[in-house]
Amino acid sequence: MFAFIVRRMFQSVIVLLVVGLVAFSMFRFVGDPIDNMLGQERTQADIDRLRTELGLDQPFPVQYFKFLQGAVQGNFGVSYRQGRPVSTIIAERAPATLELAFVSGFLAITLGIALGVFTAIRRQGVAANIIMTVSLIGVSLPTFLIGILLIYIFSVELDLLPSFGRGETVMIGNWSTGFLTASGLKALILPAITLGLYQMTLIMRLVRSEMLEVMRADYVRFARARGLSDRVINFRHALKNTLVPVITITGLQLGSIIAFAIITETVFQWPGVGLLFINAIQFVDIPVMAAYLMLISVMFVTINLIVDLLYYAIDPRLRVDARAT
Amino acid sequence: MILRNSAIGLALLAATSVQAADFKWASTTDPQTMDPHAVNSAPVLGFLNNVYEGLVRRDKDMRVEPALATSWEPIGDGEGWRFHLRQGVTFHDGGDFDAQDVLFSYQRASGEAADTRSWFAPIREVNVVDDYTIDFMTIAPNPLFPSSIANWMIMDQAWTEANDAVVPDKETGNFATINANGTGAFKVTAREPGLKTELEPFDGWWDEAEHNITRAEFNPIQNPATAVAALLSGDVDMINPVPIQDVARLTGNADVDVIQGIEARVIMLGFDHQAEVLKYTDDAGKPNPFRDPRVRRAVAQAVNVDAILATIMRGNAEAASQLVSPAMSGYSEANAERPAYDVQAAKALLAEAGYDDGFSFGLKCPNDRYLNDEAVCQAVVSMLAQIGVTAELDAMPVRNYWPELREGNYDMYLLGWSPGTFDAEHPVRFLVATPNEEKKLGSWNFGGFSNPRVDELLPAIQSELDAVKRQAMLDEVAQIIQDEQVYVPMYVQPLVWGTRSNIGLTQRPDNFFLLRWVTVN
Repeated sequence: MFAFIVRRMFQSVIVLLVVGLVAFSMFRFVGDPIDNMLGQERTQADIDRLRTELGLDQPFPVQYFKFLQGAVQGNFGVSYRQGRPVSTIIAERAPATLELAFVSGFLAITLGIALGVFTAIRRQGVAANIIMTVSLIGVSLPTFLIGILLIYIFSVELDLLPSFGRGETVMIGNWSTGFLTASGLKALILPAITLGLYQMTLIMRLVRSEMLEVMRADYVRFARARGLSDRVINFRHALKNTLVPVITITGLQLGSIIAFAIITETVFQWPGVGLLFINAIQFVDIPVMAAYLMLISVMFVTINLIVDLLYYAIDPRLRVDARAT
Repeated sequence: MILRNSAIGLALLAATSVQAADFKWASTTDPQTMDPHAVNSAPVLGFLNNVYEGLVRRDKDMRVEPALATSWEPIGDGEGWRFHLRQGVTFHDGGDFDAQDVLFSYQRASGEAADTRSWFAPIREVNVVDDYTIDFMTIAPNPLFPSSIANWMIMDQAWTEANDAVVPDKETGNFATINANGTGAFKVTAREPGLKTELEPFDGWWDEAEHNITRAEFNPIQNPATAVAALLSGDVDMINPVPIQDVARLTGNADVDVIQGIEARVIMLGFDHQAEVLKYTDDAGKPNPFRDPRVRRAVAQAVNVDAILATIMRGNAEAASQLVSPAMSGYSEANAERPAYDVQAAKALLAEAGYDDGFSFGLKCPNDRYLNDEAVCQAVVSMLAQIGVTAELDAMPVRNYWPELREGNYDMYLLGWSPGTFDAEHPVRFLVATPNEEKKLGSWNFGGFSNPRVDELLPAIQSELDAVKRQAMLDEVAQIIQDEQVYVPMYVQPLVWGTRSNIGLTQRPDNFFLLRWVTVN
């Protein structure tokens, strides 16, 4: 077990290093930050001076090494655009993204499971068919279009919800939360739906097909033969057995909700790390881009590591294999 | 943290007491710093013009008028300029304004770390005469100096020293990057970079307030569709810019107004004047046709600017004949005629230059710098095809674009230029003068155009005190630029803002938005 963990950790570190290397080798194709940092009346001497000061005249492996040197000490450098430490900026922006991801994840799971069960039980019903058709929209329409559509309907036409931003926030320690104010909660609704819609349809369709599968199983038929009520059969026997794959998928999707909040955040001007990353690309803010990419890869690597360890704990075959090698 | 919380508290108080005069506006770019000397860019200077002030400022029609200086006069025979400073002015923190602050701001804004350094290239030394008089001695007579420093903002020496921000710091930032302490009509009460900035009127402002705002909030909104939705739903009171394609839709809406004007920015095509050979397409390696003025003239006559304006700009822009718009000082009335759109004439010119069969070349173009820039380039490509010239368009984000131009990776390119001094001398200095690193000339003359007469006239223009003689020289330069067809000026970029219909404001051609002219009805 210990050897397995050490090996997996070692592999994770290698993955991280490679991600960083690839990221740094790409940065020079993103563009040149110098022109954004100097005004139109700059001279070639100014350009050269700034380039040297920022270390951009160095080959990218050297830049990468310097970044790693700082990163292991928790220092991600200073944003070119804002002139403030990247760690401070990310800490400021992270609550917005995490709250949004949490709410949309919650919506996706609860609604996804509820609708999945409903459409599986009332397979022939009109309502179920409508839900299934509408859910196709969730899968097929791109996120930004859904976002713009929601803004158009609920902000512009109906004037019910704010069209952008996070509303009023309250600071709890270093954490800015939108959960405690009315405008903060209202501002959450549209972005959360936009971000969670795809995951919700995914979960719903997964639950539905698993349910249909399970409903045909022998033990459900026996349960029916025993005269158990529909409710007990549906929820205690069928649903429980469909949840195993759902949990696996949901866990993996959690990472992507956080990582791919970028588009939703851009459409709603949601002040999270995704928007920060988009700004950083436009400005070629290399320290912010590097820190963001590393954080996201740390997150994915950690989730995968945990999943692997869970499998190891759950699946005895892995242990047998490990002993054999 | 305490400071910010109390500021938000104050803002909330103000918001509840007079709801009507709350004002929110949005633009695509957040000013990257609150330091007026750290970054010389339009979003920063435009925003900070609400907070800081210079010795002089520009009025609604871009004319220079007194601000922190009440009057100024040339010293002797053009040795420099004497400014008489306004008395009784205080900074937002209560500090007094005097000549020492001006001297300090000069040193700060002209230092190595400042991005505004080039503004002070003509200055030899600065002398404080008394508390409210200060002399700027120039290297040569400089008639334009007072009007060239309208965006040079004065900071409080005591405040910057107390907060350890004596030198602007663009790379790592300092206190002045997030905080501001000017003499202007508005003070910054809360600042969250990239999210929002809150302002309140400054009670101790020396000038009469024309606005009725009690609290203002700026939000950057990158996505144009989101900004339009925010305006339509009333979440913001003003947006800049309105996407050209949404103008018609917004004009038809009774709740919002579209305010249109033209910006100071002229959009033009540039050429490589130095390269011996073409660098792109199948013709790469063949002699560079753009070294021949007749070919450049043919391009000018082949581009149908009116069609571009009618279709791509939806009639919102104005054709340009020279490197500055008619609103700028020093505009050459004598050269107000642009080469007529004439396909036959263009073909004849090409034949004369020996290119009967046309040629092909590479056109570089940004796709996120100017309004509809890529579409304009596409139109240019199809118009050039009519005279048998094949352009291969390569459009890219501006962050990749400038490095490409610096490297000389183009045969022809698109450029927009907004003269910082609002004078015709500015583009000559940056775009036409022979590149000279030491004298800081021609730093945007990517194509390396060089003309001895222009180089000779430029210093004379810069130091000529007589307006008529100066204009004569500017006319001559404009004539040379037009004869040589150094660039192909196409149009002056439009300026399109959107407001709620209860908002009154003033749109200035430099695209600066000033809160002190806003009225909420």
